[in-house]
Parts: sequence; C-alpha cells; structure tokens
Amino acid sequence: MIEFICAFLTFYSIYLILSISLNIEYGYTGIPNFGKVMFFGAGAFTVGALTSRLLAPLVGIDLSNTNFKIENIKIAESISKTYLMQRPIESIIVFLGMLTLGAIVGGIIGLLASYPAIRLREDYLGMTLVVAGELIRLIAYNYDPLICGTFGVHVPNVFSFIKSPGWTFDVIGLGTVKNPLVDIGDVVLDIIKAGVMFAIALSVWLLAQRLMNSPFGRLLRAVRDNEIAAEALGKDVAKTRMIALVIGSAMAGLAGSMYAFYTLTVHATDFTPIRTFIVWVMVVLGGAGNNVGAAVGTLIYLVIERGIAMIKQYFPMLPFDINYLSYIIMGALLILILMYKSEGLIPEKPPKYTEE
Amino acid sequence: MMLPPEVFIDALIYSNLLSLLAIGLTLTYLTLKVPNFAYGDLATIGIYVAFTFNEFYSLHPYLTPPLAFITAGLVSLASYILVFRPLWRRESSIVTLMIASIAVEIALRSMIHIYASALGLRRRVSLARFDEPVSIASLELPSVLLATTLTAITLVCSLYLFLNKTKFGTAMRAAIENPYLASTLGINVEQVYAVSWFLAGGLAGVAGLFLPFRISATPETGWELLLRIFAASVLGGLNSIFGAILGGYITGFAEVVGIYLLSRPPLNISTAYRPAIPFALFIVVLLVLPQGITGINWRRLKRKILRGEKE
Repeated sequence: MIEFICAFLTFYSIYLILSISLNIEYGYTGIPNFGKVMFFGAGAFTVGALTSRLLAPLVGIDLSNTNFKIENIKIAESISKTYLMQRPIESIIVFLGMLTLGAIVGGIIGLLASYPAIRLREDYLGMTLVVAGELIRLIAYNYDPLICGTFGVHVPNVFSFIKSPGWTFDVIGLGTVKNPLVDIGDVVLDIIKAGVMFAIALSVWLLAQRLMNSPFGRLLRAVRDNEIAAEALGKDVAKTRMIALVIGSAMAGLAGSMYAFYTLTVHATDFTPIRTFIVWVMVVLGGAGNNVGAAVGTLIYLVIERGIAMIKQYFPMLPFDINYLSYIIMGALLILILMYKSEGLIPEKPPKYTEE
Repeated sequence: MMLPPEVFIDALIYSNLLSLLAIGLTLTYLTLKVPNFAYGDLATIGIYVAFTFNEFYSLHPYLTPPLAFITAGLVSLASYILVFRPLWRRESSIVTLMIASIAVEIALRSMIHIYASALGLRRRVSLARFDEPVSIASLELPSVLLATTLTAITLVCSLYLFLNKTKFGTAMRAAIENPYLASTLGINVEQVYAVSWFLAGGLAGVAGLFLPFRISATPETGWELLLRIFAASVLGGLNSIFGAILGGYITGFAEVVGIYLLSRPPLNISTAYRPAIPFALFIVVLLVLPQGITGINWRRLKRKILRGEKE
C-alpha cells in the first residue's frame, strides 16, 4: 500500500510539473503547446544519453571500445555499484546536475519552438508541434547514438547510496560514523525517493505561483487577453511569448529528467503524443490560468486513471490493454468539460488589486 | 538517373491515396477551420473494415470501398454531430476545437486498438495477397495501382460534379465561402457541414482500405499517416480541393522517390527516416509558402521574375 502511495506521489510530482508548465504556456500566455511530450522527452533523453556516458570514465570503462547500445545496462549497473553507492555527495551532484541540464536542454528546444510559436496561427502551430514531437520520437528510436534506439538506455541509480553500507562520514568529536540509513527497509527508501520528487515539484509549484502573481504574470495575461493593448503599452509581445515558452519547456525538461531517474530506463516508445494529451486533460480539467487548478486537475486525472487500472485486477481475462479504456474515458471527459464547464473545475480568478 | 518502375508505381499508388486523404482533410478544414487530428484514424477504420469483411465474410477487398466509405463517413459524421457541432454552437475558440479534436483522436485510436485486440489480431493486417498483377498491353501492372487510380479519378470527378453541378453542392460551396451570408439565404449551414464531414470521412475510409495492400497495417497506421496528410493539405493551401490533389501528389512522390534516392549510395540513409521527408516539406512550406501552391499569385511572380531580369 505504501509502495503504491509512493509511486502515485512520484507520478503526481512529475505530472504536476508538466501541467504547471502547460498552464504557464497555455493558461497564462495563450500558446497552445500541442507538443509537450517533445520537451518532456528532451529532458529524459538528456539524462538517458549522458549520465552513463559521463560517469563511465570515472569507473574505468573505456567507451571507445565498448558497444554502448548492447552494454549500456551493464555499464549503468556497474556505475551504480562501484561509484555512486560509495559516494553520496557525488550522487547528489549528478542528480541535481543532470536535472539542471535536462531543464536547460528543454529550454533550448523551447527557444527553437518559439520561432514558429510567435509567427504561426494557432492551427498551423498545433500541427507543427504535434508533428515535430512525433518526428523527435522517430529519430530517437532509429538513431542509436542518442538513447540506443530500439534497445532503450538505462540510467545509473543515483538513489543507490541511501541504503548503501559503502560510505562513512566524519563527525567532529565522534570520529568516523557509518551511514545511519543502512538498515532502513525498502519502504522507507521509496518514501525518501517520493519525498525528494515531491519536494522538487512543490518548489516548482511555489515558484510558478510567485512568478504568475508578479508583474511578469500580469504581462503574460495581458498578452493572452489583448495582444494589441499590450503592444500599445510598450510591451514586447513576441519576446514575452518566447520567455513563457522557454520557462514552460525548461520545466517540462526537468520533469522528463526526474522521470528518467525514477524509472531508470529511457525508451523512445514511451514518449508518444498520449502524454501531451494527458497533460492537456489535467490542465483543462482543473482550470487553465491558475496553478491551483493545475494541481487539482493533475490529482483528479491520476486518481481516475489509477481507479480504472484497478479494474484490471477484477477482470484479469480482459482481452485488451486497460489503458485504452482509460484513454476513451478521458477523451470523453475532456470533451464534456469543454462543452459544459470550459473554464475547468477551478476557474481563473481575476487578479488581486492592492488599494493604495 | 532512371528511376526503376517499381518506385514510380509505388509512388503513384501512395500519391493516389494521399491526395484523397488531403481532399478530405481540406473539406473538414474548410468548414470549421480546425485541423482534424482524428482524420488519420478514419483511414485506419477503412483498413479494418476491409480486413473484417474479408476475414469473416470472404468479401474481396476490391468490393468493400462502399462499405469503408459509409463506415468511416458515419464515424466522421458522428464526431461532428456529437463533438464539433455542439462546440461550434457555443462559439468555442479554435484552440478548444483542437483540444477536442485531439481527444477524439485518442479515443478513436484506442477504440480501434480494442477492436483489433478483441479480434485477436496480434499480427499486422495485410491484404497484399490480393495484389495480383494485371497485364495490359504487354505491361505487367499491380492491380492495386489500377484500383487506386480508378478510385481516385472516380471520387474526384464525382466530388467535382457534386460540388459544381448540383444544387446542394452549390449551397455547400456558398456555406463554406461565407457561412453567415449563406445562412441568410436560407442555406442550412450545419447540414452542409455535416455532409462535408461525412464525405471527408468516406474519402479517408476508401483511401485507408488500399493501404494494407502495400504495407502491413496496425491501429497506429492512420495516425502515422497524419503527418503526410497535413503536409499535403498545407502544401495545397488548405483551402482548395485542387490544391489538395496537387499537394497529395507532390508529397507522395517526394516521400517515395526521396527516400529511394537517399537510401542508396552515396548517402545510405536508413529508410526508417522516411517520415522526415514530408515533415521537412511541411516546415519548408510553412516558412516559404504559408498560403500553399494555390495561393501563389503567378502573374505577380512572373512580373517579379521579368523585372528581375531587366535589372
């Protein structure tokens, strides 16, 4: 049960960041990003492609005479065992460093995507982003040097040091102390992992909340509601949309990196447009244009999705993948919300004014 | 360098189908001005209609086009009546319609997946065994080439006659051109749009039916095709049937001939990158020619070139 809650919390954290990012782009700025999975994938691909390769020389593996595609699972394991398990500080640096790098790569792709996003009409932009997301998946699937194509790539476990007996630290007065967490159970380890993920998601949420209630947030809404008025007031509309897209994409890249470190494997087939659709359901369901809505929408979506997945336990003979049933229900739900409650469960509130 | 005839035949079959699909997508785009992301899945429905009738009723696939037309047309009509018309009546924004269209796409594709699993179709669907060669005047041609060409010509001609020679077709063009003016003249715009969506779905169904003759199809086939349909329709300008036909042939030939040339020495690029060609075409069209081929003002272009020569 606790395992289940931890997995749920982790997925909630990852999807929360994604829906906040879409909310900034679509809810606040009005850019319909139908290629979310591309930026999410960018983060995951960065972690998948680079973590093992960067750490391999440190454990004495020479990449130039190994077949990385076939041996990447062994390499990732040996990095976890012989390097990361003994080095807590390095593990944390790798984790945070790769998350940052994933966010940066996501942001760069966002910057590229802002070129069409500023110039194209919504319908053409939608087509471009959907199609671009599929193309990136296709390239990742067929171009082996990136994430090992059809094989997928394994990621070293940066959490492996937590329970490891392999490291000690010095405390003044006590001398050398062993790792105090050696004896914790797997459940506690799960809780720690989920806690870390949730802490990151919460900080992103708080950051977004602060940013969107700042003058910058009001600028985004001004651009969304009346481009001409914003321009007349001397605001650079194109630049504002570009910044919003870069922020959103960096967040999606961060979520992708977290996903890679959590699942420990990155496979191109995992990054289909269904993920984009899921994030859209979350944002529209919760209510675009406010971060509470994004948080609530994400929660409701995941609860329903888990609920449908549980049906499978009662019908083990179901002749099809239960996920398809869940997509049909979610599609119908999304359409009903668009028809009857298009502002979502938690509508956007008008901004607060401070009386002088 | 001469192209081998097989490549040319392959490109022609592919382009025949692609132009039918591009016409259909353009037809729906003309009505609500929304790119229909679910359009590729209507072609998948055509595939499974042909397969189902062949498997269970031993019907030859060449006899199933009417069934595929009606089934896919009805699904398309249902998506219009149940989803797009109510949203359009509420004056939803284009983004809302696009979100709805993605929702329809995901739901439709999932249903096809469930249908395929329920039939126990673990394998890919193929109808290649029906593609017997036909010899015409000492030429051995695959029958599917003749079938797709005839189907494309028949459908395009009947669509042309329907739009230009019948009263309803004229009303349809009027409603698409200016819905408000048309409705003041007593044209039932919603009814006209419904017919548009039905016809568009039907075209996709028929085009889809011929796909498993050449490739082995899965429930994802239509979705994978969507990129090409978008490229072809955008190249055609998204506003004219004629443009869509032209766009379909250009995209189809560019893709088949392009990957044939790229996959040979000296480049030896993997054929897996085939979808990159229509994508590149799509991006180039958006950047250079956003109004499509039919949007080019030839007279002005000519004048520009002539003036350029004088300088």
